[in-house]
Amino acid sequence: MKRTTFLILLGLIYFSLSVNAQSIRTTKHNLSVTSPGTIKATTESEICIFCHTPHNSTPKVPLWNRNVAGSVYTLYTSSTLNATEGQPDGASILCLSCHDGSIALGSVVSRISPIDMTLALSSDANLSTDLSNDHPISFLYNSTLATSDGQLRTPPLTTTHLDNNSKLQCSSCHDPHKDLYPNFLLASNLNSGLCILCHSRTYWASCTHASSSKTWNGSGLNPWAHIETPYPTVSQNACANCHNVHNANGKLRLLKLVPEESNCLDCHNGNVASKNIQSQFAKIYKHNIYGYNNIHDPAEATSVTTKHVECQDCHNSHASNASTATAPFVSGYNVGVSGINQSGVAVSSVSNTYEICYKCHAGNSWSPPAALPRKISQNNVRLEFATGNPSFHPVVGSTITNSPSIIPPLTTGSKIYCTNCHGSDNSSDPRGPHGSLYPQILKLQYTSIDNTVESPTAYALCYSCHSRTSILSDNTFKKHFVHVVTAKTPCSVCHDAHGISNIQGNSTNNSHLINFRTDVVVGIGALLRLEFVDRGDRSGYCVLKCHNKVHGSGMSY
Amino acid sequence: MKTLNLLAAFCFAVFFSTMGFGQIAGSAHDFTTESWNSSGEMCNACHTPHNSLTIADAPLWDHQVSVATFTLYTSPTMNGTFGVGAQPSGSSKLCLSCHDGTVALDNFGGVTTGTNFITGVGNVGIDLSNDHPVSFTYDAALATADGGLFNPTTANSGLGSTVTADLLYAGKVECSSCHDVHRGGSATGKLLVKSNAASALCLTCHDK
Repeated sequence: MKRTTFLILLGLIYFSLSVNAQSIRTTKHNLSVTSPGTIKATTESEICIFCHTPHNSTPKVPLWNRNVAGSVYTLYTSSTLNATEGQPDGASILCLSCHDGSIALGSVVSRISPIDMTLALSSDANLSTDLSNDHPISFLYNSTLATSDGQLRTPPLTTTHLDNNSKLQCSSCHDPHKDLYPNFLLASNLNSGLCILCHSRTYWASCTHASSSKTWNGSGLNPWAHIETPYPTVSQNACANCHNVHNANGKLRLLKLVPEESNCLDCHNGNVASKNIQSQFAKIYKHNIYGYNNIHDPAEATSVTTKHVECQDCHNSHASNASTATAPFVSGYNVGVSGINQSGVAVSSVSNTYEICYKCHAGNSWSPPAALPRKISQNNVRLEFATGNPSFHPVVGSTITNSPSIIPPLTTGSKIYCTNCHGSDNSSDPRGPHGSLYPQILKLQYTSIDNTVESPTAYALCYSCHSRTSILSDNTFKKHFVHVVTAKTPCSVCHDAHGISNIQGNSTNNSHLINFRTDVVVGIGALLRLEFVDRGDRSGYCVLKCHNKVHGSGMSY
Repeated sequence: MKTLNLLAAFCFAVFFSTMGFGQIAGSAHDFTTESWNSSGEMCNACHTPHNSLTIADAPLWDHQVSVATFTLYTSPTMNGTFGVGAQPSGSSKLCLSCHDGTVALDNFGGVTTGTNFITGVGNVGIDLSNDHPVSFTYDAALATADGGLFNPTTANSGLGSTVTADLLYAGKVECSSCHDVHRGGSATGKLLVKSNAASALCLTCHDK
């Protein structure tokens, strides 16, 4: 009997505790002397009084007991924001009567003297009057907004709380009276459950960032330092891996860090993600993401007008996953990224990986010039790879019918990615042209210095697909050996690796990727002729002077 | 049987302690020394033993009643309803006969030419839109609809029984739900029915 009574008592205690756990009494918003927090009144025992009064309230609703600061707030702004913001109103302006830091916590209307407090508002709770680093509030969220944005769910939203004017307010995410979830959130934000009630990002469901169970290994900077109560895995933190809803360092798009790449590299540095991308950018030749700040803009022209490169130019952090593909189709690593297609038209989401490269390497005003001086000069790789060209590497398409040197499994019908040649110098590194020890971010050595002694390593890049044995046995061009080995002429002197546009070249002079380097080969005669003449299968001649040797039709093969 | 006896004893104890707690003498409602109350009587400003005004629910009322039209509290998140064109009613209307500031304090006992009006925080005015709503039904259905209110039929008032039994009048929230006009103990400050330390009075109804 006694035991039963004890158990009943225990049950009663537990029940009373569990009820209290849902009361404002046990939250930091209990600012009275009984507060569980450190910021509290020295003697005042009333809890509601810090916000509410039963009489003479101001603003009247909801019986508010605090003056509104009358501050002019700096609002969030972004090139991708479709909402029309006004100054904070509704419930939000009430929250700001404490949280903008301009009115002391103890200053309530119903008391002549401010309530004496132990401490002022903490810095992380003080949003200040600069709300440009906070999630926007007090904007109308309706179907028109959802449609114009394209990445927002269409109201009515069943579980979020827009106010009676259909505006999103602080109260859309927070319940100031209940702290069942961290930061007074209305619901658990596990897997960003609260964020995705409104935000509907294309691809997110299949994104690795939404499913990864990776954890931080404790080395380096804590990627979740901006989260008050982080979850242990990437997928659980979801949006919060990169975004900070309040007081974000990177104001635009509420990124947690500046500069932009920091938001990626604090996980992709070997401490969270499986591959260390950061180490790639320590190499001499790289897509230098460190070199540009606040230039990239998601709303920028797809054909990039101002030179820069950031991770998000090639990767969509809301979409990326590890799914594989075969050339030329885009793999999961680059899915959901914009590009320029082979016709020169902008696409919001590429089908083929090379379309991403064309955003910058297709004759933009600032595009890198061709690496070597040639008779036909071109820095628009989109033109170089066109399948109507006299010759081209099979990035966009393949029309090759005969190439004896190709090493299986490649065949004459194979297509290749730009990244088959451009990428890390170490095959065990992450794929992609992040950085390399070799110029042009090439994967392997591709010596372009004239008079180089031929070796497997000197032209390792070419030999990775084209059999050295076959080339030097003159199975293709009958004079390869004498040119490359005897005369120590690099591949690049005669061949232009990408291709020769049919706008500039023709099938007689520019088949077999022939486009001579003008720093090695010079023209001859009154017309300074500098050309190869194709006479059909493994037959032709050159008119030019190279290594002080004049070539002419008499040297045909 | 024993349990029943105990329960009865407990109820009596609570009842009497409540009745005995505080008194009007010395409180803000002790008008014996007010200049406008020449008779110096305690109860006459509000009550008369004979020939009281014929006002519904008014306990031997003898103070002129306000005829003002009141602006009521309204809020998009308020689930309680006043009804179309409704005005403060019940005992709240009696409180407002002094506290809306439109009727003189000394308009009682048939006098209608008084000149002393309530001042300070006690004057809530005829604009009640900045005051806690009164004269609306508070029942279990409202608690469910609101989600932030306790069920008054089961919630403990802290005064011996439920909110409905102890604090509501004909099922409605009135001024007297929070204020006991006849009690003035300093512990309750503004004539509150119970201490609001730790906002206990607010949190009797509000599930926050």
